[in-house]
Amino acid sequence: MSHNNNIKRILALLTASSLLLLSLYGCGASSSGGTADGSGVKVFFSTLTLDDFKELVMNSVADAGAKTGVKVDIGAPCATVDEQVAQIKDAVSKGYDAIICNPVDTDTALQLEVTAGDTPIIFTNSQPSKEHLTPDKYIYVGSYEIDAGTMQAEYVWNKLGNPGSLNVVLFQGQPGHPAAINRTKAVKNYFKKNGVNANFVFNDTAYWDTQKAADEFKIFLKTGQDYDCVICNNDSMALGVVEAMKDMGIDPAAVPVVGIDATVDGCQSILDGEMQFSVYQSAIGQGAACIEAAIALAKKGTVKDVEYVTDDLTYVWVPFSPVDKANAGSIH
Amino acid sequence: MSSKKEKKTKSVITSLKKKNKKISRKLLIYIIPVIIVTVLVLVNISASIAKNKMRQMARETLESSISNQADNIEAWLTENLTYFQTAKHTVESVGADEELLVPILDSFYGYNSNAPEGFYIGTTEGKLYKATESTMDETDITGSTWFKQGLSRIAMAYGTAYTNDQGETVISATGILNDGSDVIKVMGADVTLNKITIIVNSGVKMSGASSFLVDTNDYRILAHRDSGLVGTTLSESSSDALLAGAASSIIGEDLSSKEISSNMVAFKEVPGTDWVLVSYIPTAVILQVVTQMGVLLFMVGGIAIILIVIIVLFVIRKVIAPLGNISGNISSMTAGDFTIEVDSSSDDEIGIMGSKLSEFVASMRSMLSHISEESDKLGGESDNSARVSKIMFDASQAQSEAMDQLNQTVDQLATAVNDIAANATTLAQVVADTRDNSDKAGASMKETVEISQKGREDMEKVSLAMNDISKANEELVESINKVGQASEEITNIVGMIGEIAEETNLLSLNASIEAARAGDAGKGFAVVATEIGKLAQTSADSAQNISALINDVRELIDKVVGEANDSAESIKANSSLINIAVETFDKIYVNIQESNGLIDAMLEDVQKVDDVATNVAAISEEQAASADEILATSENMVEMAKNITQSSQDVADNSHELAQTSQTLTSYVQKFKI
Repeated sequence: MSHNNNIKRILALLTASSLLLLSLYGCGASSSGGTADGSGVKVFFSTLTLDDFKELVMNSVADAGAKTGVKVDIGAPCATVDEQVAQIKDAVSKGYDAIICNPVDTDTALQLEVTAGDTPIIFTNSQPSKEHLTPDKYIYVGSYEIDAGTMQAEYVWNKLGNPGSLNVVLFQGQPGHPAAINRTKAVKNYFKKNGVNANFVFNDTAYWDTQKAADEFKIFLKTGQDYDCVICNNDSMALGVVEAMKDMGIDPAAVPVVGIDATVDGCQSILDGEMQFSVYQSAIGQGAACIEAAIALAKKGTVKDVEYVTDDLTYVWVPFSPVDKANAGSIH
Repeated sequence: MSSKKEKKTKSVITSLKKKNKKISRKLLIYIIPVIIVTVLVLVNISASIAKNKMRQMARETLESSISNQADNIEAWLTENLTYFQTAKHTVESVGADEELLVPILDSFYGYNSNAPEGFYIGTTEGKLYKATESTMDETDITGSTWFKQGLSRIAMAYGTAYTNDQGETVISATGILNDGSDVIKVMGADVTLNKITIIVNSGVKMSGASSFLVDTNDYRILAHRDSGLVGTTLSESSSDALLAGAASSIIGEDLSSKEISSNMVAFKEVPGTDWVLVSYIPTAVILQVVTQMGVLLFMVGGIAIILIVIIVLFVIRKVIAPLGNISGNISSMTAGDFTIEVDSSSDDEIGIMGSKLSEFVASMRSMLSHISEESDKLGGESDNSARVSKIMFDASQAQSEAMDQLNQTVDQLATAVNDIAANATTLAQVVADTRDNSDKAGASMKETVEISQKGREDMEKVSLAMNDISKANEELVESINKVGQASEEITNIVGMIGEIAEETNLLSLNASIEAARAGDAGKGFAVVATEIGKLAQTSADSAQNISALINDVRELIDKVVGEANDSAESIKANSSLINIAVETFDKIYVNIQESNGLIDAMLEDVQKVDDVATNVAAISEEQAASADEILATSENMVEMAKNITQSSQDVADNSHELAQTSQTLTSYVQKFKI
């Protein structure tokens, strides 16, 4: 019996260390949902057309599913709302316990919910508006965008020596995108709250896009206005700015160029001394949180025990973490 | 009496009515406040619930309205912006040829009523291109607000509000013209705040609500119903509490709906802008319906209270009515009337009360009739007892009298017995006298015997003359025969005396027996005494007879002596005859001797009689003593009889009392009507 226990202990130790290694390997991010037992739970994952981050989220959902014993079926990425609705309809008919959905359009969340019927939906990546979310039923797993914007503004202001006023170039994501809105708002509010007279010498959308950001930044440069920093809603646009600077012969390191997402290129750019700062949104953490929430909803019907869940049981906020030259290399 | 009774019943009924009233009043006193409080509480609760619901509804409506309005504003802005953007694209597509700009701007002029001055383009070189008809004038292009704003973006967007050269407060939609040239051109179009105000004010979807629009960049009011406020800055220190409250909410980034100075206020960011739409509605307007409802509820409540009071009154009357009957019945019962009919038709507790009361009345009725019967019986019995005691009294009185009589009789008896005793004593005396006389007779007989002895001696002396007197002797023999006969009679008399003694004995025995009976025996004893008297008389007579006979004997003897004298003469003649005479003389002697013996025997008998008489006297004395005892006893008995009379008098009194008691009981029971 004690011999048996010893074997169990050794096995447990081995499992724990291998998990630790795996998590360290996975950019050192915490995988909060990895410990829940999801055996017997069937989850369908529906996503829109992939980009780097969305793919990361998708893969981390699959990985977290495999770790916890949850059966995760991943639907083909949908280009349109119609496709996604059809996919969810199919998933419901097949009796999945929960659907993890990165919606094509957050405005169609209600349609997706109607289609899902009694099956709970865990939205991720793109945040539907609050009125379309229901506690313990239609929840959102993501990162609190305000935090990301605040981190950017904080970094910049500190980097510049906490000036009383500063000229800011701001590149926003797609207009109307919650992340774009909240990240922008957070930046503005941070300065406002700290009594900083932030003069937005350029403040336009570049649709998350590197090239657009580069083009627009070049046009901005033509206006000849001074700028103390470039804050972008994501790394892609920040990289575009860096590119434009390099094209125009400007040293990107001269002013802080900051992004969000800590993408591979972003991290690399930081390591290269071009971009200065990014905010890591843990795709692995979000994927694990999605699975943890799915297990909780399937088994207990509530997400109240899920890590990072808000008091209203509607959001699971996987924390952002700041990335600069010191840790950029360890993210990917 | 009956009128009195009626009066009583009436008073009972009125008191009942009073009590009824009291009960209903009491019930009303308890129930009405409860009802009023309940109704008031209900009305208040409903009013408060309605209030809350109305608030919630109003908030939701307001939020929905503001959301809708914000969407409308956004749509309006986007529509314009799209138009502006299209125009900008058109301009950009023309290229950098500045000469072509004006005709293009002209072609757009007047196309969009929201931007009546059309488009204008300023360059970093200070040039301004505008539609020919445009009245716009700008001297310092690069220093102008719109130009500076336009430099910060490529896509056209709305900037903050400012006052243009016309003195109008406008918002410019501007953006860098991306025409590829190195000269930066900013293209713009102005939208007046008046226009936005119209859009905002006309977009209010909730009646009674108002809206205003604030730019969070500089907190300027972009639109307000009060045109005087448009373009001013929203301040937390505003004198208008609503504006001040709204300002602090917006600055504090708390955009949740709330109540500010009696207004329900909702906030909504207009998507795609930094604007916050504020919509508010006076709570009075929201709660007007509630107030109306409250009034209505209070009216309904009032009517309900009145109705309930009426119903309660009716129900109380209805419920208490049988109670009234029962109270009436109980009152009748109190008055002693058990002939009542109890109504127990109702099926509730009162019905049970009625039926129980009915049972009680029935049992009371039977009990009372039993008591009545019993008291009647008791009355009869006590009457009986009185009568019996009367009879007993009479009887005891009679007995007492009888005892008195007996006493007297015994007294008389005693007297009689004393008389007997006296008589017996007299008898004894008489007998003693008789014995003395007999003794004298005996002495005489002895003398006679001595004489006859002397005569025989003489005879013997005349023996010689016997022969001569043979004949005379024969005559003597005859005389002696006669004496013999007389002696026989004496013998008979003596026998009689013996009989008399025997009878006297028997009588005395009878007398003692009669005396012992002590009843009418007295009389018997008197008779016996009389007999004894008679016997004494008879004894006396016999003694007389005996003395007479003895006289006869003496006469005969005298005759014998005479004849003997004749004979002596004859004896002288005949000695033989004398002998014969002597022999005859001897014979006489013997006979006299025998007579003497008889007299002795008679004396013995007289002695016996004396003893008997003495005994009788003693017995009579004893009897007298006994009679005295009897007298004493009978006196005791008289005393006792008197006691009995007294007792029977007491019994009579008691039974009389009992009769009275039973009469009282009967009168009491008779008070109950059964």
